[in-house]
Amino acid sequence: MTRILLKNRLDDCIVAWRSAGFSVLAPVKRSDLSRFDEVESSAEMALDLVLTERTIKDHFFPQTEPLIKYRIKKHEIDSQEMLPPDGKRVFFGVRPCDASGLAIDDPLFGWDYKDEYWFKRRDNAVIVTIACTASDDFCMCTSVKLAPDSAKGSDVLLRPLQGGNGWQVEALSDRGNALLEPISSILQDSTDAPAPTVSVPVRFDVDKVMEWLADPASFESHFWKEISLRCIGCGSCTFLCPTCHCFDIQDEGDTYTGIRRKNWDSCSFAMFTMHTSGHNPRNTQSTRWRQRIMHKFNYYRGKFGVNSCSGCGRCTRQCPVDMGITETLQAITNLPK
Amino acid sequence: MIYNPFPMRVVSKREEAPGVRTLKLEFVRQEDHEFFKNHYKTGMFGLYGIFGEGESTFCVASPETRTDYIECTFRQSGRVTTTLANADAGDIVTFRGPYGNRFPIEEFEGKNLLFIAGGIALPPTRSVIWSCLDQREKYGNVTIVYGARTVADLVYKHELEEWKQRDDVNLVLTVDPGGETPDWQDHVGFVPSVLEKVAPSPENTIAVLCGPPIMIKFTLNALGKLGFSESNVYTTLENRMKCGVGKCGRCNVGSVYICKEGPVFTAAEVSAMPQADL
Amino acid sequence: MGLQEQYRSEAAGLLSSGAVKLVIGYSAGSTPDRRRPVFVRTPEEAERLVLDGACVANLSTYLVTEGLLSDGKSVALFLKPDGVRSVNILAAEAQVNPEQVVIFGFEIENGQVKPLEGRKASDFTPVIEAAKTAGLSPELQKESERLDQMSASERFEFWKEQFAKCIKCYACRQVCPMCYCRRCIVDVNQPQWVNTSSHTLGNFEWNIVRAFHLAGRCVACGGCDRSCPVNIPLRLINHRMAKEVLDAFDYYAGESTDQKPVLATFRQDDPETFIL
Repeated sequence: MTRILLKNRLDDCIVAWRSAGFSVLAPVKRSDLSRFDEVESSAEMALDLVLTERTIKDHFFPQTEPLIKYRIKKHEIDSQEMLPPDGKRVFFGVRPCDASGLAIDDPLFGWDYKDEYWFKRRDNAVIVTIACTASDDFCMCTSVKLAPDSAKGSDVLLRPLQGGNGWQVEALSDRGNALLEPISSILQDSTDAPAPTVSVPVRFDVDKVMEWLADPASFESHFWKEISLRCIGCGSCTFLCPTCHCFDIQDEGDTYTGIRRKNWDSCSFAMFTMHTSGHNPRNTQSTRWRQRIMHKFNYYRGKFGVNSCSGCGRCTRQCPVDMGITETLQAITNLPK
Repeated sequence: MIYNPFPMRVVSKREEAPGVRTLKLEFVRQEDHEFFKNHYKTGMFGLYGIFGEGESTFCVASPETRTDYIECTFRQSGRVTTTLANADAGDIVTFRGPYGNRFPIEEFEGKNLLFIAGGIALPPTRSVIWSCLDQREKYGNVTIVYGARTVADLVYKHELEEWKQRDDVNLVLTVDPGGETPDWQDHVGFVPSVLEKVAPSPENTIAVLCGPPIMIKFTLNALGKLGFSESNVYTTLENRMKCGVGKCGRCNVGSVYICKEGPVFTAAEVSAMPQADL
Repeated sequence: MGLQEQYRSEAAGLLSSGAVKLVIGYSAGSTPDRRRPVFVRTPEEAERLVLDGACVANLSTYLVTEGLLSDGKSVALFLKPDGVRSVNILAAEAQVNPEQVVIFGFEIENGQVKPLEGRKASDFTPVIEAAKTAGLSPELQKESERLDQMSASERFEFWKEQFAKCIKCYACRQVCPMCYCRRCIVDVNQPQWVNTSSHTLGNFEWNIVRAFHLAGRCVACGGCDRSCPVNIPLRLINHRMAKEVLDAFDYYAGESTDQKPVLATFRQDDPETFIL
């Protein structure tokens, strides 16, 4: 016997959660782009998408985030932190890949120095994930040892029912349990079976990839130049990635006041590592592409025990020249022994 | 919290060499000063900046034995350093730090110290030099080999004089061929070749080496020839930084984040890094 | 023999004889409907070249890869008329030596590829002239008119909503053959001319600045529009700028390798008395 939520009761849930002080964010398609945004009714939700074009990362690590407001005078300065607003949020309809992205980034933002901007948002959010019954040619969660019903990073896991009329509901954390309180009367007991999750083919051998990357000889391999010839050095893959977290700090203002901001930056940009002296340790696209792959599947793993990839496939799905991580990792998988 | 810098008042500034300035900074807030005193060890760096312009990374040039102020020395090269270079006494600038790891100078106790620096890389070395000279009795022989392109480019000129006068310090100065003035009394030649000439013994000696990459490369060769092992040679690395706390993803050399696991490394650790990422 | 096979065999021939050192074309992509740029350096690799109605990207953007043409050798690439226009503009702006560029020309009509005669940029002048006379795309024309008919404030709201999506990934810039500045203006920080943040002002600044830097230079290849990961209809802006330039100056970018840049040239018979 499990608990289920029927689709026709979703609006009641939204009302209950909003009364409990949560704002509800769900997948929507607005202005010709699918992403997570606040909704007031289930009619606004686009739950049938394989996944949204933009990730929920945007709501925890926005593309531009005010850090500090400052005021300067010649012999005095005044600076105040601009922490994110209080406000509890429910993210309803997250895909397992996006949810795992949050869990993957937590250790980085907490590495010795705690990034309060990230954690304040994380602590105020509850992630309700819906397992995937559909995928497309770019999904690769299983290749990075996740799954269409992975629980990583989620507080509540919903499994679509066989009949398509609702979801099986499972709380995975204290926060998840707390979220189900206001809707406990809306949930029902049922023996309805969940639909099978989609089978996502494994596209590359991640163990072999990690082994090859760990070999010091691979760093200087000609492979990197060959595989990245068509990369144009934009930030699409990095900005749409649920786990990419590189940023720049910029001051914006006039002579006396301004805001110091944290803005997304990308290791694929030519100027990313440029020194003022003009020296650039990564001054070719191939060295930058190598950094991207090594960081995700070697450096990050070495420090935090997990690859910095959730297998969502957006890097390939959105790449203007049909690149992305998948092809590189397939090529490594297929390298002769 | 972690991105909010300390306000610092400029106490004085000094022109060390063409385009190179030292700022002496004092803390505006008592609690910031306490934090610094409790955390700063020689080798650590900070992000110095000005609201409205940005932040720039340099070492803390003052030693861990003198924490009532912060000294930083930098070359005017970009937006932030130009504004810092134009700061006057009384102006407020910002400091974020101290970050990074440290020179383990307690492990150097009882040993001879060989300091080698080139040009604008004297500041980080100088921080260690004074940290040791302020506790002189703990260390053996102290030799300092310092060279710059020209006489004018030598930094901390007044301290060079001070070290020259001390009889418990062996100071070897050099300028590049062509950089000497008519009254120059010391060596002429690149640091690595002067080092080979001075031929310090590797016996019970720790070397601290800071300089531009090309100088480091040739000096390491020279040290190797003299019998120094790479694990007894300490150096510093630098890279472009923004956050200083390991999150913005840009300062790594291979898997090593300069801001968290550096900037102090042994030469052995540097050799183990992918050289193509330096 | 289909056009694909014909060009494959010619490409292999050029590589064997050493006439070119590289062929930039299309190959199969990660899904059946996708094509991706491919860099072929040996005659055997020419088998990877694909040419069909899905080959729409403007490959001339790779011509300005730093150092590619500095050895004086030639490069062959597959181009539609818009790509040839890009080569003309790059030549006129002294970024590319047209003598080093061998062109496999083609057009896509009703989803099918048709060959275009010629191997040098100058061979395609009649095709480009015909395109100029034919006018700008009718579908774009309709969309553009819809915007024109809005009031200024409605149009501003439209673009505010679209630019709110911008994440400053610069895919539009990186894919564009005309955006070849070694240091883009957004990367200059002394002073920081253009905000780097993705708030409304920052996004407007970036997109409008880029549109203005492209005025009179954009060939409407659609690369920016297709590569934008957040689906901003950049084609509408660039189309409008191209139309303005055509109407005001009777100027169609990329007609020849020595066509003078419209907004960087002063003629004595210009209506204004000064260059502004």
